[in-house]
Amino acid sequence: MYITASSTISHQPTFRNKGFSSTISALEPLSELVTPDYSAFIQAMERRRMSQVLKMAITCSIDCLEQAGLSQPDGIIVGTSMGCCVHTKNFLDKILSANEGLLSPTSFIVSTHNTIAGQISLLLKNHSYNMTHTQNSLSFEQALIDGMLCIENGSSHILVGGADEEEDEIYNMKERLNDEKIHLTCGVSFFILSNEKGKQASINLVDVGSFGLINDFSGIIMEFLVSNKLSPEEIDMVLYANSEQEKTEELKTLFGHGKIFDYQKITGTYFTNSAFAMNYGIDILSQREHPVFGEGINKVLVCNNLIPENLGLILLANKND
Amino acid sequence: MKIFVTGIGVVSAIGLNAEENLRSMKSMVTGISKSSTHNLMLGEVKLSDEQIIKMFDLPNEDFSRTTLLALLAAKEAWGNNKHHSGIRTGLISSTSVGGLDRTEKFYFESPNDKSSASYKLMTHDNGRTTERVAVELGISGFIGTISTACSSGANAIMQGARLIERNKLDRVIVGGSDPLALYNIKGFSSLSIYDQDICKPFDESRKGLNLGEGAGFLILESEQSIIITRNKPHCILSGWNNAADAFHQTASSPNGKGAYLAMINALIKAKITSEKIDYINAHGTGTGNNDLSESIAIQKVFGDNIPPFSSTKGFTGHTLAAAGAIEAVYCVQSLQSQLIFPNINFSIPMKETGMLPETNYRSNVSVENVLSNSFGFGGNCTCLIFSNAN
Repeated sequence: MYITASSTISHQPTFRNKGFSSTISALEPLSELVTPDYSAFIQAMERRRMSQVLKMAITCSIDCLEQAGLSQPDGIIVGTSMGCCVHTKNFLDKILSANEGLLSPTSFIVSTHNTIAGQISLLLKNHSYNMTHTQNSLSFEQALIDGMLCIENGSSHILVGGADEEEDEIYNMKERLNDEKIHLTCGVSFFILSNEKGKQASINLVDVGSFGLINDFSGIIMEFLVSNKLSPEEIDMVLYANSEQEKTEELKTLFGHGKIFDYQKITGTYFTNSAFAMNYGIDILSQREHPVFGEGINKVLVCNNLIPENLGLILLANKND
Repeated sequence: MKIFVTGIGVVSAIGLNAEENLRSMKSMVTGISKSSTHNLMLGEVKLSDEQIIKMFDLPNEDFSRTTLLALLAAKEAWGNNKHHSGIRTGLISSTSVGGLDRTEKFYFESPNDKSSASYKLMTHDNGRTTERVAVELGISGFIGTISTACSSGANAIMQGARLIERNKLDRVIVGGSDPLALYNIKGFSSLSIYDQDICKPFDESRKGLNLGEGAGFLILESEQSIIITRNKPHCILSGWNNAADAFHQTASSPNGKGAYLAMINALIKAKITSEKIDYINAHGTGTGNNDLSESIAIQKVFGDNIPPFSSTKGFTGHTLAAAGAIEAVYCVQSLQSQLIFPNINFSIPMKETGMLPETNYRSNVSVENVLSNSFGFGGNCTCLIFSNAN
């Protein structure tokens, strides 16, 4: 299975910037979203009605379809933990202020979690499979697994994305992760999964795992590698997010000190940041000699342990590897 | 490969378990009544959060009602199942409310104090409400949550079947749960689609929907799994499909394209022709738009041979993300007991289609294949087909 397109809008200059993994550095403390000129992707009338996360998602989707040279995907799958929570908060505020008066439905109708996937289908006039997964820190991995099922069942090209917006009033992420120091950001990443190699560079999506309520962190990683007939030595780079220091130590023991890289320094923290990490991994793999990480990186494991009891694993490889 | 249904559980306004739900429909008793708190016709589950917490002897923590309703139905479905090292068991739930019922409580009670009760906001995310169910059922590993508005429950069931089919899981508990949240009550009110009386699906004089709450869960198993569990299959899940209507964020298309595609492709998946369907449990919300669009799609699929069909939402109200799962349980019961559920409150056929839903509770009928329709915001259309196991 191949990844034939990838696109990220984030707090970093990632959008339409191939090779970004060699130029971007750790996030600055007060970083802001780096947005492209949406007018190139979405008409003014539609743009005005759209929330930030929706504009990001639609722009990344269009970018992916262009990269892969497709007019329509055979499925649209989105992973989002918090959905369109800015609109949720808007509507909560309207209920509060309206009392028994009339309410405008505008925020309500676009606050469902599947607004993003639904709006992409509307815009593309796409009647194919349309799904939305929402499993907090594993939302994106769940979406990817769904995309892999589609390809295994015979679909040719599936658009899969991870999207979350920044909202810190109705959900206390810092408390959830028991860490006051985290750098809250937001981001949207989309990809095309294909059953054949793309015209341009494409990467193998080897396997994806989503494990909830885990009790054996290293054990699950080992089992995942074994099921893919790999040993830890064969993994060239591990992009990880941990909220517990002892897990980082376990990764060092398993893979070696030099191979592990904390992707949250780059992505910041939001529940679907493993989608950004996957694109970061793709960007690293796409460069034969990486200016920062050197040559010989052929297999990358994205190890998402953002919430201590949940573990997402995404295994990427160079297409010829 | 066959996907066996070996367990069912349901809680709704017409009953706290599968047996009670069936009995209410047999005696044509609706669960929709005037809510004392909201001055609206609602399908409320007649159990408070505290009663459910006490029932299951749960620890003293801030539970979302989404979790509590899900526990009632999921535990009924799970029954005497046991964990087994040779069976990979997953849980896929679905919800539109998630922990929003707790969020809004805090938000409305103390809008200016966003710090003191902030722990309550921790339940907001949908995934957590599912994980909490997994904890009680002793499940770890594949735990997922779908949120596609009113088709969520059907999608969670489909997802479980697809994972078994591709040998990613052996057994999976699938379903959906949604409590009545003020957020949705006010939201649907802002769309002006409430019937001030009990809804009248497929009736010419229909005025809109009634909201309801509840949960439904099924146990799906592979052939390998039932060899080990020795569970007796109630029926099989033989067909499924999801398609996008791609017409409007909230309204269904006039030609019912998404619904048509989902029905046709589910039939193809089940390898049966439309004449083989013996009963359709329709989405039938009672809104002008849905019932017309769905009727047109049914006509396109079935032509002159439309099988008996009914919407059970006159009993339960529209339970949103739970609807597809609750109605899937009813479909399993239809096959198990060879019966067809009535569409209550119907008198005048719609002038555009003239279609007549089944208005009687009919038992002793031959039911081999049942179709369940679920459609949601964002044009999300899902159809499931359940068939006799042999």
